[in-house]
Amino acid sequence: MAKISPKNAALAIYDATLGKSGAELALTLKNGVKTLSDKRLLSQSEEILGALQGIIDKKTNTIRMKITAAKALGAEEKKKLEHQIKEKYKAEKVESEFFEKSDLLGGIRIEVGDEVIDSTYKSKLNKLENFLIQSN
Amino acid sequence: MSNNIVENLRKEIESFKAATMTEKVGHVIEVFDGIAKVSGLSDIKSSEMVTFPGGATGVALNLEEDAVGIIILGDFSNIKEGDEVKATGRILEVPVSENILGRVVNALGAAIDGKGAIKTQGDKQQTYPIERVAPGVITRLSVSEPVSTGIKVIDAIIPVGRGQRELIIGDRQTGKTAIAIDAILNQKGQDMICVYVSIGQKDSKLRKIEARLEAGGAMNYTVIVSAGASEAAALSYIAPYTGVSIAEYFMDQGKDVLIIYDDLSKHAVAYREISLLLRRPPGREAYPGDVFYLHSRLLERACRRNEQYGGGSITAFPIIETQAGDISAYIPTNVISITDGQIFLEADLFYKGIRPAVNVGSSVSRVGSAAQIKAMKKVAGTLKLDLAQFRELEAFSQFGSDLDESTKSSLERGKRSVEVLKQLQYAPVKVEHQIVTMYALTKGYIDDVPLEKIKEFENGLSDFTENNAKIFYKEVKEKKMWSDAGEAELKKAIEDFKSGFVQ
Repeated sequence: MAKISPKNAALAIYDATLGKSGAELALTLKNGVKTLSDKRLLSQSEEILGALQGIIDKKTNTIRMKITAAKALGAEEKKKLEHQIKEKYKAEKVESEFFEKSDLLGGIRIEVGDEVIDSTYKSKLNKLENFLIQSN
Repeated sequence: MSNNIVENLRKEIESFKAATMTEKVGHVIEVFDGIAKVSGLSDIKSSEMVTFPGGATGVALNLEEDAVGIIILGDFSNIKEGDEVKATGRILEVPVSENILGRVVNALGAAIDGKGAIKTQGDKQQTYPIERVAPGVITRLSVSEPVSTGIKVIDAIIPVGRGQRELIIGDRQTGKTAIAIDAILNQKGQDMICVYVSIGQKDSKLRKIEARLEAGGAMNYTVIVSAGASEAAALSYIAPYTGVSIAEYFMDQGKDVLIIYDDLSKHAVAYREISLLLRRPPGREAYPGDVFYLHSRLLERACRRNEQYGGGSITAFPIIETQAGDISAYIPTNVISITDGQIFLEADLFYKGIRPAVNVGSSVSRVGSAAQIKAMKKVAGTLKLDLAQFRELEAFSQFGSDLDESTKSSLERGKRSVEVLKQLQYAPVKVEHQIVTMYALTKGYIDDVPLEKIKEFENGLSDFTENNAKIFYKEVKEKKMWSDAGEAELKKAIEDFKSGFVQ
């Protein structure tokens, strides 16, 4: 039998629990966990939960964004950014996390899934360094 | 002076534009033996280049459901779990320009000969992808122009044409590389660009080869691509493709190129290593299932294009090292079936002093005879058959001493043929000289020359006829065939020389 990937397991759990609630949902989840235990997949629970989150986000058209900036952003800026990202990815909901990292020197870095928009000074300086090495 | 530097630097910085764009990234899950498993990178293509934080480059080879298998080209000791990997959106490519001639480059096209970076032509660096589909049927032309290797046994018996793929196969230390180097040395003034790809060879050997080519004035038209034994297997894997991409750059300008892959056995071993580390299923001799395709797609890129599609050609000399003369092993049989013939070198012949140690019976050129010049065809036409008969008679003659006259004369002629085909290393012979020697041999002028004096006779004859049979030489050089007058002149010159030589 083919190996069960975390993605497959997450999809199975999502399908089984869809539309259920209360005691029925609790029972389904319990069975789900038991199946994972039987198949020795509990060690991969983190990946499965991550995949499940991904499936739910896709169904609900939600995107998760990580923003790292050199200095803390103001509420207005955060709102503006969220709005722009929402437009760019045509999402209904944006869940954002904000981080501060002073060694970026300035600018912001936005991560959505495996896409990155990096406009920090640090990355620009790195690019300049490479450009100068290559041109000489 | 310092003002100048500052000014230049300022100009450089002013011309720099750092556009912010969306990049695809992934994160390293694990790194081992030059392989990295990376998560993310959702839209990556096969053979796409990626960059690691330290500047190392990688190539995506395995695209799996939740991870990408990447081979790291270069040092991987600084890559850690969790490092960010960026996709570049470009298939692996190498920089190409006219300035690459005379240089030694690594598998990524960067100079490693200590002569500084290779200057770009014009403002923009031109690059060629290392993986390209071979030219199609319509664009091709059949082989009809010869490649003169300067090695008598090859030019006479196993002729090679431009656009041909001729395998050089034999055990270790039988003179495979020597043939390739002689062929490069002989291309001087023949309007041919040479690319020598060294795969998994010792650096000392490469240094020796470079020095020899330099001394012979061959580096002016030669590029050496090297992936040494101390470098990662991934570099050995891509080196021949880099070499052929450089060759294609010159072919696209309508030039003829000779490329040597030294050697494809080590290339297959490097690919086996990568494939096993990427957990691809092993097949025969633990090579992966696509090892045939590995070499066939490489050698198919050797071709001769017709004028309508720009002309030019790539002639390939792949080299295969056999173990104990076993040409029926997996990789040798694969490459034999892909190529248009093989030059088979034998250890026994080598130790007998027959060098180049070419086994004429097992060697073949499937398309080269169409490219052989008419004059050479005329003098060497029966040589292969004569030599085969000689080997048979030689075996029989060991049983008894009572031989009839015709057998004796065949044996004597055979011994002289073998002697004439012997040749020193790094001493390529001009095609006109080869024709004169073969002419003298087949017409029986050498039959009464003592065996030990044949080399002396041959050298003297070449010099003498060049001065005394000028019509013959001119006709062969220009028309590729002699006339009756030329032949009469040559005959007279040979007789004159012989009478002087015997005295």
